[in-house]
Amino acid sequence: MKITKADAKAKIRQAYAHAVPDICDVILSDCEKGKGQVIMMEETKKKRHTVRYMMAAAACLVLLLGGGFGWNTYRLNHRVAATVSLEVNPSVQITVNEKERVLEVKALNRDGEIVIGDMDFSGSDINVVVNALIGSMLRNGYLNELANSILISVDNEDPAKGAALQEKLTKEVNRVLESDGFLGAVLSQTLTEKSTLQKQADRYGITLGKAQLIQDILDSTTGHTFEELVPLSINELNLLLTTAEADMAKVSTMGSASDKAYIGEEQALQTALAHAGISEEDIAFYRMDMDVEKGVMVYEIEFYNGGYKYEYEIDAVTGEFIKNKKEINEDFVTGTDQGVPSESVKVQPSDSVKETQDHYFGSYYGTEHHEEPVYEDHYYYENGTHHDDRRQSGGYYSGNGTDTGNGANAENGGNTSASITLEQAKEIALAHAGLKADAVYFDKAKQDYDDGILLYEIEFKAGGVEYGYEIDAQTGNILDYEWDYD
Amino acid sequence: MLSLAPADKRKAECDAEKVEQCLQAMKDQDLKALEELYHRTSASVFGFALSVLKNVQDAEDVMHDLYVSVWSAAGQYDPQGKPMAWIMTITRNLCLQKRREYRKRSDIPQEDWEIYINAKQNMSSEDKLILAECLKTLSDEERQIVALHAVAGFKHREIAKLLETPLSTILSRYNRALKKLQKWMEESNEDNKS
Repeated sequence: MKITKADAKAKIRQAYAHAVPDICDVILSDCEKGKGQVIMMEETKKKRHTVRYMMAAAACLVLLLGGGFGWNTYRLNHRVAATVSLEVNPSVQITVNEKERVLEVKALNRDGEIVIGDMDFSGSDINVVVNALIGSMLRNGYLNELANSILISVDNEDPAKGAALQEKLTKEVNRVLESDGFLGAVLSQTLTEKSTLQKQADRYGITLGKAQLIQDILDSTTGHTFEELVPLSINELNLLLTTAEADMAKVSTMGSASDKAYIGEEQALQTALAHAGISEEDIAFYRMDMDVEKGVMVYEIEFYNGGYKYEYEIDAVTGEFIKNKKEINEDFVTGTDQGVPSESVKVQPSDSVKETQDHYFGSYYGTEHHEEPVYEDHYYYENGTHHDDRRQSGGYYSGNGTDTGNGANAENGGNTSASITLEQAKEIALAHAGLKADAVYFDKAKQDYDDGILLYEIEFKAGGVEYGYEIDAQTGNILDYEWDYD
Repeated sequence: MLSLAPADKRKAECDAEKVEQCLQAMKDQDLKALEELYHRTSASVFGFALSVLKNVQDAEDVMHDLYVSVWSAAGQYDPQGKPMAWIMTITRNLCLQKRREYRKRSDIPQEDWEIYINAKQNMSSEDKLILAECLKTLSDEERQIVALHAVAGFKHREIAKLLETPLSTILSRYNRALKKLQKWMEESNEDNKS
């Protein structure tokens, strides 16, 4: 019996719903008891203990190694062990000694001076100082709903200590923001490769921390220049960082950057769809990124419908179009029924799967139940996994949903008997994988019926890789294949 | 508005507007609203927690902590029409916290779901088999995506945001997972017939 995606979803939903343990009464009575009480989340507290313990242990070690008196004691107290900078727009630099007592707090710009005001911090614990500075930034409105990102940069010659300090400060800042009921986003990094960054920082009159953050974004996105990103605020940079789909080795993030100053993704999408005259249900896939275009924050939107690719750039503040483009999607040919692209989709038969490109994010086209793309043609490496799903039978999927009962009578005619043998199908798969029959171990090789097409399902292993193929039993076309590291 | 007949409780879906109304009412310490919220969202919360943790006892703990913290934090919730995203983000954080606790103790949680499912009264045998299949054959990521999409009704792009994973990855994992389950359902149907 054919099970549709919707059927499967409904069954899964029901199974989960029935599995829920009924603990409603316990919850209600626990909440009733705690009425009016503020329950603090335990996590940050616990974590801080560990960090504190680590810091204490590190400090002890320093004492033991240094002998603990005379010159060493002086050194511990007065030598700059680490430099920390806090940036929102106000930039403040804090220097601390080995004991993490503050030696000096310096404003790096006018706003920084306002934040520091007449507070004197020398000799205080770093946590206390950070706490006071964040409080002042909140009071003075530098951290607000529209711009909630703060960048913490730690510069310590010892990378392990630097990392520990970075973690400790991130937690502290986060705790201060949380206790104020403020949803902040904390970016933190330890400074590396300082000599090259220092040149850039000096050239544009920005801090090392901001220079490193900009470099991080440049390394993971394309189409930007250092100069272009310099005028952006930390919050804007954080938004760019969020949409850059790369793993950020240097900067770690907590919370998400506020986009409340902008029209929002939803409205940007609706604006683009309204212009294109398409409803959200009819697009199979879209991607949306926040980007900066000539100093203006924009939403970049890309989607596919009826064989066309649409591209929009919308001003994130005003919602105006900056760019719109509609072009024929070359990889895609629709069926005759143009009006209902989601029902009848044909993919151009093609033997030239784009194997040469490692990072080809192909197009998603065609939908079965409107929201779920059926055709995927994409290549990417991710955690050592590489896969490619592709249908290229050249046949139509008939979406009439008729159930043929025994499943052996195809709706699209002709495809009822195999014209190639199982052995031939195996050969096709092996040839495609570039392997010889004696080099592989077959897990599965059988005839099956899928979506109205008689096919062979073939699975084999070789050299630590698992291959899976679906081959049209009529035409010998490869309908679908994937491979994964075993 | 806030009272539901018992029979309807389980059927109630996590309709964003209704969930938001519950959260608003909870700001005024309305326990009835919490009860309604529980019935509307517990399948999603528990489903996702179980998908992450694969341990019923832990998933239950997370669910308990989730509602207690939502109760105390309802005042901080800023209505934006996306209450489920908020609730599931907290659920995910609680799950990650649970995992970290285990890691700290170098402990590996037992997968206790088989015993639980077998003993659970209101699950049909089909429910039991489907849930077992989700827990057994899907990868952790696939299972989480399926739970969020099929149970919590999240859109793929919302899942991408919650799991901090590119949308393209979510889509291909979801399709792959659903295909596996569909196929398994078809096969087990045929087995039943023969």
